Amino acid sequence: MTAIAAPAPEAPSAPRWAHLRRILKSTPVNVLLVAVGLLWLVPTVGLLVTSFRPAADYFASGWWQAIAHPAVLTVENYRNILHTGGIGDALITTVLITVPATLLVVLIASLGAYALVFLRWPGRDWVFVLLVALMVVPLQMALIPVATLYGHLGLYGTIPGVVLYHVAFGLPFAIFLMRNFYSGIPKDLLEAARIDGANEWMMFRRIVLPLGMPALASLAIFQFLWVWNDLLVALSFLGAYPHPPLTVNIFNKLSEFGTSIDVISTASFISMIIPLVVFFAFQRYFVRGVLAGAVK
Amino acid sequence: MATVPVAAVEPLARPAPDVATGGPGRGRFRNSIAVGLFMGPAAIVLGAIVVYPTVDTIIRSFFDKSGNTFVGTNNYRTLFGTTEMLIAIRNNAIWVIVFPFLVTFAGLVFAVLTERIRWATAFKTVVFMPMAISLFATGVIWRIVYETDPHRGVINSAVGTIVDAVHPPGLYALPNIKPISGLAAQPDGSMLSNNTVQPGGTLKLGLTGILPENIPPGAQDAHAPSGASGGVSGAVWRNFSPGGQIGVIGNGEKGLPGMHLTLLRDGNGSVASTTSVADGSFRFNDVSSGSYRVSVDSSNFRTPFGGTNWLGIQSLTPTSGLGSTARSLLTIPLVDISEIIAMLWIWSGFAMVVIGAGLAALNREVLEAAKVDGANEWQTFRKITLPLLRPVLIVVFITMIINVLKIFDIILGLVPDSSQHEANVIALQMWHLYSRFDYGLSSAVAVVLFVLVVPVIFFNIRRIRG
Amino acid sequence: MSNITFDHLIKRYTPGAAPAVNDLNLQISDGEFLVLVGPSGCGKTTALRCLAGLEDITGGRIIIGDRVVNDLPPKDRDIAMVFQSYALYPHMSVYENMAFSIRLRKLPKEEIDQRVREAARILDLERFLQRKPGELSGGQRQRVALGRAIVRSPSAFLMDEPLSNLDAKLRVQTRAEIARLHQRLETTIVYVTHDQVEAMTMGDRIAVMREGILQQVGTPQDLYQTPNNLFVGGFIGSPSMNFLTGTVSSDGGSVRLKIESLDIALAGRVAELARTRGNGSSLTIGVRPEHFDTAAPGAADTMRLPASVDVVEFLGNEDLIHTTVAGKDVVAMVPSVRGVKVGDQLELHVLASLVHAFDPQTELALTGSDGARPAPPPAVPAQAPAPAAGTD
Ligand SMILES: Nc1ncnc2c1ncn2[C@@H]1O[C@H](COP(=O)(O)OP(=O)(O)O)[C@@H](O)[C@H]1O
Ligand SMILES: [Mg+2]
Repeated sequence: MTAIAAPAPEAPSAPRWAHLRRILKSTPVNVLLVAVGLLWLVPTVGLLVTSFRPAADYFASGWWQAIAHPAVLTVENYRNILHTGGIGDALITTVLITVPATLLVVLIASLGAYALVFLRWPGRDWVFVLLVALMVVPLQMALIPVATLYGHLGLYGTIPGVVLYHVAFGLPFAIFLMRNFYSGIPKDLLEAARIDGANEWMMFRRIVLPLGMPALASLAIFQFLWVWNDLLVALSFLGAYPHPPLTVNIFNKLSEFGTSIDVISTASFISMIIPLVVFFAFQRYFVRGVLAGAVK
Repeated sequence: MATVPVAAVEPLARPAPDVATGGPGRGRFRNSIAVGLFMGPAAIVLGAIVVYPTVDTIIRSFFDKSGNTFVGTNNYRTLFGTTEMLIAIRNNAIWVIVFPFLVTFAGLVFAVLTERIRWATAFKTVVFMPMAISLFATGVIWRIVYETDPHRGVINSAVGTIVDAVHPPGLYALPNIKPISGLAAQPDGSMLSNNTVQPGGTLKLGLTGILPENIPPGAQDAHAPSGASGGVSGAVWRNFSPGGQIGVIGNGEKGLPGMHLTLLRDGNGSVASTTSVADGSFRFNDVSSGSYRVSVDSSNFRTPFGGTNWLGIQSLTPTSGLGSTARSLLTIPLVDISEIIAMLWIWSGFAMVVIGAGLAALNREVLEAAKVDGANEWQTFRKITLPLLRPVLIVVFITMIINVLKIFDIILGLVPDSSQHEANVIALQMWHLYSRFDYGLSSAVAVVLFVLVVPVIFFNIRRIRG
Repeated sequence: MSNITFDHLIKRYTPGAAPAVNDLNLQISDGEFLVLVGPSGCGKTTALRCLAGLEDITGGRIIIGDRVVNDLPPKDRDIAMVFQSYALYPHMSVYENMAFSIRLRKLPKEEIDQRVREAARILDLERFLQRKPGELSGGQRQRVALGRAIVRSPSAFLMDEPLSNLDAKLRVQTRAEIARLHQRLETTIVYVTHDQVEAMTMGDRIAVMREGILQQVGTPQDLYQTPNNLFVGGFIGSPSMNFLTGTVSSDGGSVRLKIESLDIALAGRVAELARTRGNGSSLTIGVRPEHFDTAAPGAADTMRLPASVDVVEFLGNEDLIHTTVAGKDVVAMVPSVRGVKVGDQLELHVLASLVHAFDPQTELALTGSDGARPAPPPAVPAQAPAPAAGTD
């Protein structure tokens, strides 16, 4: 009795202490991570603010000083670049490359993965091994022969040529990702559908494709960002194109980094807007794709 | 992101189940039609754009520029004889050695720490966000960050703030300031009076090279100093006026206030210090007898922090006395480090998310069992969590090796032309040769790159097939 | 309509390996409820999947109606299958799940709707038609799986352990529901289970398999009363049959069985069988726990086994007692009123007509004087089960 009664007066204060201790204990971690988070934001914010300042200001003072005086910010750079810089055309070229390259990869990969998982054929496992190998083959490995091939086919310096290149190098990872997802579909479902009278195409169209949607979304986002952000392929095949895509457009201005900072920062930010929107809107799928590719 | 985490290793890739009911009545023929229709498009595209060209590139690497003459291994010999390529290989080596460790470590730390905060989602979003930005744009972003002028580059601004707080710049940090009468510049940056002086004596210290607008506000006309008994006094002034004379305090010539001065006993070092007042006069009181000189401290002329050229090629390793080849191999230019930091900014989020998922997938009961067994937090982490995370850490590590071997866009975006030669990498070298239409050499470089990723290919295959 | 025939069916998954189904001969008549039972891994599912057309067969024939269906794809075999996992399409509503197959067959819209609603009515699923499978309980999902089979009005239902994902109570309920469904639809059902209770309660006939080989086919009563061999004897009935193996010694009138140090007198039919096998031959006798009693039945052909009681489990009306007889474990189920206690030394009594005899080498049941395979004349009167009640 007394043993129970004794600690009673302390009892109410104990949780409060524990609470306080927890807060004290977690403070250093919180402070550290706030600092890291801010550090991570600084570069992007720097570009963003720079793109809203007149070029002359860039030499006069740091962009962070403009944050204290938002009045000096102006959309002039954006207005100029949209009217004169050919950025509009560049944007269109980038979209014309990215959208078909994404749709084609999604389509071809989901078909191919179906064959790898749900059809039985000799050499199936070897094809999968080959795909795993192709996943890490550098883009550079094919540049010269494909440039020659495109030369013969009249695809060199054209948008379809670039699209095709992106589709090809996106496929191994895409099929890999879809195959892993499909492998998780219970085989009973397919057998049930077969008994229900579905043929191969029906099973793909009505069962596998709808169930594979989450993976397709991840894949589409990956491929979209990858193609949108590409420089190498565009530079190699579209270097002389009249309206090169965004990355090449910026690359061409880069030699005047200092003097053209207004144009460069603005164009860079324009090139980032859509990827960032896609990222924030579909972060869940993006993360899922990363994990599917990396750890399962 | 020019490179998706394609290394994409799945430790537990499921074997494809045999749903594949060839099933009765589905003749081999009908099945092959289905395989053809489903696999066909992928096979054609991959065959034409990836597989065949890869083989072709390997063949071309043994031919000359035009691709018509077989030259054996000449291309490879040429390649490894040029400093350009050696530098590229050296840089890729630095990347491979340094970067995967750093990223994996950062990812691990972030992943572990975010488990302890309530706003983990926000933090992860912020750190993960750069993954959406192209490597090339990242280069541009960081080029602004790295600007040398502390007024423009945020890093140099931050560094400058610290440096200037520790060593504040002087009041007279002027490019052309120099002694003109009564004193002379010293090697350490200070100025020393030419004449010695006894207690009660005076000194006139004239400086010039000071623009009117650089005279501190509130400075008054200088006066010829009058001696003070038992002390040393004098004036430090701007010995420059229209029609003025050297060594004479002319009409309207201003004193230089705020000048830090030190009294030196001849041959014996500093005895006292003082600061000049508005009219430039100064005074050391209670000076014992002897002969003295007065020094104008170097701190008066100290310039503020001027910024580090982060994208420059200054070497972090001592290379003097080495031959040119050895130097090109052993130099670590500063720009490499700056690139690595920018890449960390991109990939830490990836590592954090992947490792975080690994952490979340750990069996909580195992960790709790360790706690019950008496392990403290660090021991639990070290002995239980870390070993269990090993496969995930390896995946991140391998993914990063691949990324770094193929690194390309960020160099073009970040590194100014003046440093590109020192910052060269294999993938960039290949592209340079490609754009010079040197197909033989270019192919050889591509093959070198390919050979470097081959071990990873085998690693992945072994992993994925269990 | 259509009978189903397995004619020397052989199925091997990997060439050279032991067949998963080995020379299966079985006829299932139209409208019959046949249960395939056997321990896990014995090949039941394989046999069912061969019938469904989900596996290529290695040898033999499968005949549905008068068609050999070996080369027919599943959809043309006019069968429906209920999977253990239910295999409901997770992205379709209950309605769409049930309609899927008949939509593929391009039935008119009104008929599809009418069939789905009829099936939903029978299975009490009308309220759930618009839900996705993920929003249903286990029992409801199970009914959707049945519904999906029903709407096709196939000539046979194939069910692979359809109750194994339900909890015990629901399983008993659904068991009755399927039985009712069978009476109502009068469609052939081939039902796979590893649970002999399920088999006994549901099947018109039961086929017992072991390691790919069919052991015995018959009505539940057949299997219970005249198991063909040791395996079927032990597999059917719960708790399992007790087996004791010993050496026969017959001297003139009395036939005895020596089990270790124990020497028991055989009686009735078993004595006859033992005598036929001859002096010094070995013999296994099998007795079901529920056929033992501790009180003397007083009948002439009673056999007695001295036993010491190790454990007593109280089941209500009966006690399940674990005893040691000649160093072997023997389980007996006796009325609780006998008041058996742990440590008791007692005699277990059993009517000789309820004792099964097996050849320990071949494991086959001994029936005729030649010990040949049984031509199953009921060796035991049909009313034999529940002997305890009769002797009480
Ligand atoms: N797809 C398969 N590939 C190879 N062996 C299999 C396959 N399916 C079943 N088996 C083997 O065939 C035997 C019978 O399996 P199954 O018919 O599933 O048994 P049951 O349904 O009676 O438990 C088992 O030994 C099993 O391991
Ligand atoms: Mg089974």
